[in-house]
Amino acid sequence: MNIRLHQKLINLIASIYPMAKRWLHQFHGGVFPKYNKSLSLRQPLRTSYVPKQLILPLQQHMGEAALPCVEVGEQVKKFQMIAQPAKGLSAPVHAPASGKIIAIEQRILPHASGLAEPCIVIEPDAKQDAIENALGITHKPKTIAEFKQLLLNAGIVGMGGAGFPTFAKLPDQPKKIKHLIINGAECEPFITCDDLLMQTHAPEIVRAALFVAELFDVEQVICGIETNKPQAIEAMRQACEDTRIRLEEVATVYPMGGQKQLTQELIGVEIPSQLHSIDIGVVMMNVATLRAITQAIELGQPLISRFVTVSGMGLKKPYNIEALLGTPFNELVELAQPEPKLNYPLLMGGPMMGFAVAHNDVPVIKTTNCILANPPETSDEPMACIRCGECAEACPVSLLPQQLYWHARAHEYDKTEQLKLFDCIECGCCSFVCPSHIPLVQYYRHAKAEIREIKQQAKLTEIAKQRFDAREARLERDKHEREAKLAAKKAAVKQQAADAPKVEKTAADAPKLSAREKAIQAAKARQKASQTTANEKDATAKKASRKDNSKPAETAPAQSANDKRQAAMQAAKARAAALKAQKTASTETPANLTEQAQASSVEDTPSNSASAEDKRKAAMDAAKAKAAERKKRQQESSQ
Amino acid sequence: MSRFSSSPFAHNNSSVQKIMLQVQLAAFPALLAHIMLFGYGIIIQWFLAVATALLVEFVMLKLRDRPVMPNITDFSALITVTGLVFCIPPESPWWVIVSGCAFALVFGKHLYGGLGYNPFNPAMLGYAFLLISFPAEMTQWTLPKDLAGYTLSFWDSFNHILFGVMPNMPIDSFTGATPLSTLQTGLQQGLSSQDMLQATYFESSWLNLTAWGWINIAFLIGGLWLLYTRTIRWQFPVGFLGALAFMAWVFHMINPALYAPISFHLLFGGTMLAAFFIITDPVSSSTTPMGRLIFAASIGILVYVIRNWGAFPDGIAFAILLMNIAVPLIDRYTQPRVLGHIR
Repeated sequence: MNIRLHQKLINLIASIYPMAKRWLHQFHGGVFPKYNKSLSLRQPLRTSYVPKQLILPLQQHMGEAALPCVEVGEQVKKFQMIAQPAKGLSAPVHAPASGKIIAIEQRILPHASGLAEPCIVIEPDAKQDAIENALGITHKPKTIAEFKQLLLNAGIVGMGGAGFPTFAKLPDQPKKIKHLIINGAECEPFITCDDLLMQTHAPEIVRAALFVAELFDVEQVICGIETNKPQAIEAMRQACEDTRIRLEEVATVYPMGGQKQLTQELIGVEIPSQLHSIDIGVVMMNVATLRAITQAIELGQPLISRFVTVSGMGLKKPYNIEALLGTPFNELVELAQPEPKLNYPLLMGGPMMGFAVAHNDVPVIKTTNCILANPPETSDEPMACIRCGECAEACPVSLLPQQLYWHARAHEYDKTEQLKLFDCIECGCCSFVCPSHIPLVQYYRHAKAEIREIKQQAKLTEIAKQRFDAREARLERDKHEREAKLAAKKAAVKQQAADAPKVEKTAADAPKLSAREKAIQAAKARQKASQTTANEKDATAKKASRKDNSKPAETAPAQSANDKRQAAMQAAKARAAALKAQKTASTETPANLTEQAQASSVEDTPSNSASAEDKRKAAMDAAKAKAAERKKRQQESSQ
Repeated sequence: MSRFSSSPFAHNNSSVQKIMLQVQLAAFPALLAHIMLFGYGIIIQWFLAVATALLVEFVMLKLRDRPVMPNITDFSALITVTGLVFCIPPESPWWVIVSGCAFALVFGKHLYGGLGYNPFNPAMLGYAFLLISFPAEMTQWTLPKDLAGYTLSFWDSFNHILFGVMPNMPIDSFTGATPLSTLQTGLQQGLSSQDMLQATYFESSWLNLTAWGWINIAFLIGGLWLLYTRTIRWQFPVGFLGALAFMAWVFHMINPALYAPISFHLLFGGTMLAAFFIITDPVSSSTTPMGRLIFAASIGILVYVIRNWGAFPDGIAFAILLMNIAVPLIDRYTQPRVLGHIR
């Protein structure tokens, strides 16, 4: 009651002083853009639009791209899996309609980068052949492992925008989730797909939430919906009646739908920086994701369609549609009668966090919540920052955007990190309010990318340095070993020399000299001998002794050379493998790297004086280390 | 970097120009009060200042090799010179305002890199320059109409300011010391502040307020408008007026004979002008919420100190310039706690 009164009072003040609305929510700042949500709610929900081609990117989610499991020319049925998940963090892709695979090729993705990636292209036929219960369910999943496997098989990813595979964000044990939050905030302007989904499919959303709550033994289930969706609130309230789900109306403010913001709003807890929400026992699910879960656990249907808002100031009849994944943007926009002609880039997502697509024929993917057709306006040129501080007032994370901007612009990246650049959620509030029209978020994105690049470089440099140090140490060690050996040999020879006559000593040194030197020495000796014929007998004795001594000395290096070559080959192989492993490994601990660096450095120059036996051993060790490395990586990626 | 190359693709339609015009609009009540109470001098000064500003901006932008068009229309120079106009005596000679404006814009803004890069408040830099260079002209304030007993016509003012033509009367009869300096002189002569405040000089005609009081009230009204439109941050006036009032209250409690009451400090001199129009300049002030409060409160304390124990009757300009120097330090130690961090 008290809270209601407080809200009413603030609303009264807000009618005179609009920014008083900021007092209605828990998190700092926030902005109140023009929502334009009614645009797309005027038309009824469209269903069953089948385009000429369905373009299905293998990568519609965070993690590894799926692997195609169909051939070009193959006939596929609706719900059939056409690309299987890769190992680790991945999700499969299913055919949204029956038809023929006409290509598996590079197509431009709806991604900020505008890059082309492999896509499976289906030409739908009119037959509508579908596989009933494609996921082959006989009962609702009973264990968490079973449920997570089903989520993976159904290709369900976070449909609120991040596209994080849903199975991967759930814990393995029950009771790990304290709060399950149903995210129906939908704070971005223009977008109404979640609103309409809640209006039309509230029971499905609620059933999935209750199922998850029971399976994971969740303490509390809260559903947060912004106050500007009264119909959705009413529908959800009816669906939630007599259930344990608590429905909360949250203030209409951007970015209320952000994970950190909605969590703070609903349970009053800040997600600590660097931690995931699950670390504090919070799991948030978008309403669209929950509906997909219901379809998977009740009907055995994988994810093949989603609600999409097609809206914007450049459309005569904006609408919402349950669109098949893979439907090209421009075909959907044409249905809304664009005016003026569509000769500008469309946006995927809302105006605050969306991005312009590189080509308007990119397909709808699992994370496409909105296709926005806003004709370009004349924009104001950025001016100098006047340090007005509006950005800091608007930042939902309490950053100092304008100080971040100064440092990012000056490339003082250490300072930007001190100012917690990496806590920026890129919501765009700062740019939205900037009177100087500075594209602040763009600076932060750039700075983040630069810092990541610098850190990567530093890591590589560190590895190279370690490898170099290891090599230096090894060379030093080898040198010492060689000297020690030589000294030992010398000592032995001295010992021998002390026992044997003087001539023997020079002969003992001979094997160390090269053939040419030996020849020269021999020639000299011969000359000497010819000069002093009196000592001829001694000279022949010398020659003979030399022969005796040099023979075994010559055969031994030949043998060891053979061994050396083999060892070298093995070592080279091991080294190549290690190098490959190093290249593919992206998430290695420094300890691993050092090990690897040392291992490979041992193999670097096989023609060292360490015995062949040692080398072989080293190569084997390296191979073992490599195998262990690979195993470890596999484990990591499968986690 | 075009604005539309990455998100957000929406904007709340604010702009630097709108902010500056908002400030100019908020200065109108004070301008009207000024005209009513001190005559037309201020209008002539204002036009002189604007002409100087346009010329200086144009020349400086050309010299700095910057595009003239978007920069001259940001209206920041307009705000600077408007602030300065309110600080100088309305009937001072033309070269006072012209040199003051030129100094403020050239040395206060352009030589530091233009709008957004100046560490000092340009208007206060210009005022300090004038106060040190031309102390005689700067301290002879025009007397309010009801004290002088008559007014100068627009034409009289025009001739006096531009050509130094004396109206048919001795100069002393329409200019005099400001209340603050009168009080300071009086206290030095051993009079108590209560006696001083009851002297005819401070007695007023309407609603028991003096001309200066009315000017300050007009600034307060404009300032409230600025707060409402979110053109200025609330921390500035609250911190400044709060600190000044607190200092005045404490010392008035200690010795009422020596220290003037709160109302005197709030309603005389450039208190309200500073609180809402001068220290609120975002470029040269602190940028963190806590920092703004510290910045403004420190100015309030310094103003009180200079008014009571300094050599100048009103120390606002010096207090602001001093605190401008401290801004980087304040900003460094008052960063807000970021979400998800303990500190």
